[in-house]
Amino acid sequence: MRCRDIRESISVFVDGEASPGEAALVRGHLASCERCRVLERQMRAVGAGVRQVRGSVPDRFREEVFARLESEGALPKRRKVVPAAWRWVAVPLAAAAGLGLFLLTSREGIREPVPSGPATSWVGTSAPRAPSPQGNGSALSTEDREMLAMLDLLEDPEAFDANDDAEGMELLAPGGSADSPNPPRGGRGGG
Amino acid sequence: MLLFREGSREAFEELFSRHHRAVVRFAWRMTGDPSAAEEAAQEIFLRIARAAPTYHPTAKFTTWMYTVARRTTLNYLRDTKEDGEKVPILSEGEREDGVYPVQLPGPDDRNPEQVVWQAQLTGRFRTALGELPEGHRAAFVLNRGDGLSYEEVAQVLGVTVQAVKTRIFRAREMLLSRLSKDLSA
Repeated sequence: MRCRDIRESISVFVDGEASPGEAALVRGHLASCERCRVLERQMRAVGAGVRQVRGSVPDRFREEVFARLESEGALPKRRKVVPAAWRWVAVPLAAAAGLGLFLLTSREGIREPVPSGPATSWVGTSAPRAPSPQGNGSALSTEDREMLAMLDLLEDPEAFDANDDAEGMELLAPGGSADSPNPPRGGRGGG
Repeated sequence: MLLFREGSREAFEELFSRHHRAVVRFAWRMTGDPSAAEEAAQEIFLRIARAAPTYHPTAKFTTWMYTVARRTTLNYLRDTKEDGEKVPILSEGEREDGVYPVQLPGPDDRNPEQVVWQAQLTGRFRTALGELPEGHRAAFVLNRGDGLSYEEVAQVLGVTVQAVKTRIFRAREMLLSRLSKDLSA
């Protein structure tokens, strides 16, 4: 093959884009042609020359690009994000807060079964307390029980609406009998 | 880019961080002038951001990015020419008539690409690069400078792979012709 017919293939070869057949052809020619070997080196050299033209990123290039984008409204607003490091703290904290809130608002989660008398069985509170083997009212004064009963009702506004609850409220009045035949929502308090 | 299209500013910031050096470098090689390169590079990112709403990933992002970059620099060069201004391609202190011979590696050198391109030769090379037809220069710069394959260059330029082969070969021949005084084998 004549040199001028293979020059383009040499260019493709030095770029690593030659097919296996074309590469073999070029190698064969280069092995026997000093002139084309020189050409191959020159072709590689000018290819390397492009990479020497690098330029440099101007100072404030980023600021200027983003300022232009902002002025055009081409960028979404920056979101206020929690720093990544805080996310590891925030998630457990949120979970703990949620759990605490649940426990504070749910009587079901903390109330222990109380098998004793009907009047005291539904008296509960959102605050955890130690179980009493004699029943939950034995260590409480009448005033304490009244307060706890009111708190219990405040936690459950539906209790005000139900007729049987109203009866139960009467039972909770100071001086009310603890052995009332109609304890309000007795099933709830008793667990 | 898809995340940016969905409204993520952080995605664009990441995109910018990854590619701004390549964009500036490409613009520098295509325009041959630092201030022109900066202006063109800014315009490239503006166009990328503006195009986000209609962006569809039909090719690699970098291929699309270089398509935008090439069109932007081409328009920039055309605008400059229409205004009657010449795109400056000579750096300060560079001699038009100077000859700065450099010895290319000999036959026994194993890696000719490790030629030390002295600063003055690089300047003359940049001059010669700027004198290439834009289509030839773009093909050569994208392939040798930015590492795009012939296939990718063809996509960016909207031509066939065979046309890319020819353009790169012609670019090499022109560069060798212009630098023949500087290059001795």
